[in-house]
Amino acid sequence: MAMNNKYLIITNNPSVWESYNSKFCTEFVEGAYIDVLVKVRNKIHEGSQLITHPLMGSVKPNETPYRSIILQNGSNTDMQSVEIIESSIESCLRFQKDRPTPNWSDKVLKDFQFVDIRLFESAISSLPDII
Amino acid sequence: MRLELGKIFIKNIEFGGQTKVENGTLYVNKDELLQEIGGDSRLTKIELDIAKPGEETRIMPVKDVIEPRVKVEGPGGIFPGVLSKVDVVGSGKTNVLKGAAVVTTGKIVGFQEGIIDMSGPGADYTPFSKTNNLVIVCTPIENLQQHEHEHAVRMVGLKAAAYLGEAGKNVKPDEVKVYETLPFVEGLKMYPELPRVAYVYMLQTQGLLHDTYVYGVDAKRIVPTLMYPTEMMDGAILSGNCVSACDKNPTYNHVNNPVIEDLYERHGVDFNFVGVIITNENVTLMDKERSSNWTAKLAEYLNLDAVIISEEGFGNPDTDLMMNCKKITAKGIKTVLITDEYAGRDGASQSLADADKAADAVVTGGNANEVIELPAMKKVIGYLEPADIIAGGFDGSLRPDGSIVAELQVITGATSEIGFNKLSATQY
Repeated sequence: MAMNNKYLIITNNPSVWESYNSKFCTEFVEGAYIDVLVKVRNKIHEGSQLITHPLMGSVKPNETPYRSIILQNGSNTDMQSVEIIESSIESCLRFQKDRPTPNWSDKVLKDFQFVDIRLFESAISSLPDII
Repeated sequence: MRLELGKIFIKNIEFGGQTKVENGTLYVNKDELLQEIGGDSRLTKIELDIAKPGEETRIMPVKDVIEPRVKVEGPGGIFPGVLSKVDVVGSGKTNVLKGAAVVTTGKIVGFQEGIIDMSGPGADYTPFSKTNNLVIVCTPIENLQQHEHEHAVRMVGLKAAAYLGEAGKNVKPDEVKVYETLPFVEGLKMYPELPRVAYVYMLQTQGLLHDTYVYGVDAKRIVPTLMYPTEMMDGAILSGNCVSACDKNPTYNHVNNPVIEDLYERHGVDFNFVGVIITNENVTLMDKERSSNWTAKLAEYLNLDAVIISEEGFGNPDTDLMMNCKKITAKGIKTVLITDEYAGRDGASQSLADADKAADAVVTGGNANEVIELPAMKKVIGYLEPADIIAGGFDGSLRPDGSIVAELQVITGATSEIGFNKLSATQY
């Protein structure tokens, strides 16, 4: 698959980075779930548009440390994306305030990475221009 | 479409020499059942146990709960497209072992959740503390991929429920309830003066451990469509959803949906319950836009006056819920939403991750962040260790004495968003 420049992936999941950085523009975030959301917010203000919902999956934002979000490159600020990322950040901070993400064992971290990449791939497979 | 649902009341469950229902007791031949559900090379061991109401038993982590049913008359079989041919179900006669359930458990992922306590304070929060449960503990082969594991456990549970359901095929039901929905035009002729109401049934469909199947089709691949409400009662919709124990719909809930039950109660009296619009909850915004466009389009096409919309899960489905609400309201159709809340431990925070001014009639299934304490139980079926690593659990959740302090979201079915529970909120 040739490099796709239409989409931008923001992730802190090493599995997503390893599998997709050669196929999509991918920015790896050395940080937590919230750091991915903040990075995405910045990108949205620069004109990118959300393709996936930032809170995809029912795994809570104080539970999984991993997040991978697909954006579409653009130059106009999309208000729907702004509203969704703002309320997602608010939700994430609320969960973290009540109970921060624990220090998981390696096995659990691997499982969280796996669920995150599978949710991510479920999104990739519904993009009409990706085979 | 007309379905006679024959309820055989089950008050007890025992292992026995022959699988049968006798005087309200479901006897289960263990070897025969194991023969029926075994043979999957992905599982090294399947163990069976029984958990009855009032016992000091904890089941965890729960994957799915399934009610034993059997088709007695009419086309198709239970779980069409999965265990039976894909005939359209929901008509004729179906018998149900009311009061019995199959509960599947297995550590599919390290953080998996879902607790059913058969007694004590936790029992009040789950409907499955009141059922006589046949519990199946599945052990996978080493290094089995999680989605394969989920599939194997899902199939074992469905097969077990279908096997037990067969025991009720020739038993005279204790109670028969008839549900009928006429084809749309006939319904209009029958109830020309009554408001037309439909149910928009949102299904969790985000990917691994978050999937729902309709006639065997992964529902993330559907566009919203119409179903007769009785199709659900024969298992046309089933759960492959393992995450968010408190507000996912186990397969048991899909066949016992209280929204459908209650709409039927007043059907033909206060309104004309025309049917169910099923829709999905996918991860991309384009999918969300498409599906909510279609629910609104179908609602308009049916010339509805009102809909009830139920959500499944947390977070990103809040956006689907609001899109459905906003677009259906914009067609001049009234909406009532059913959801649950993640409003913080004190319940004071914003409950949903999305909102819209059109959402002016909302019913809640409770606050999943509320902290509860579950005393130790004498017996644990499944694995207790995940208590520290389940959603709503936290480091130290599992105390040395076996008691658990965690959020309500650890309990299977506690904040059901179709109202299959007892929690809600009232404004005074």
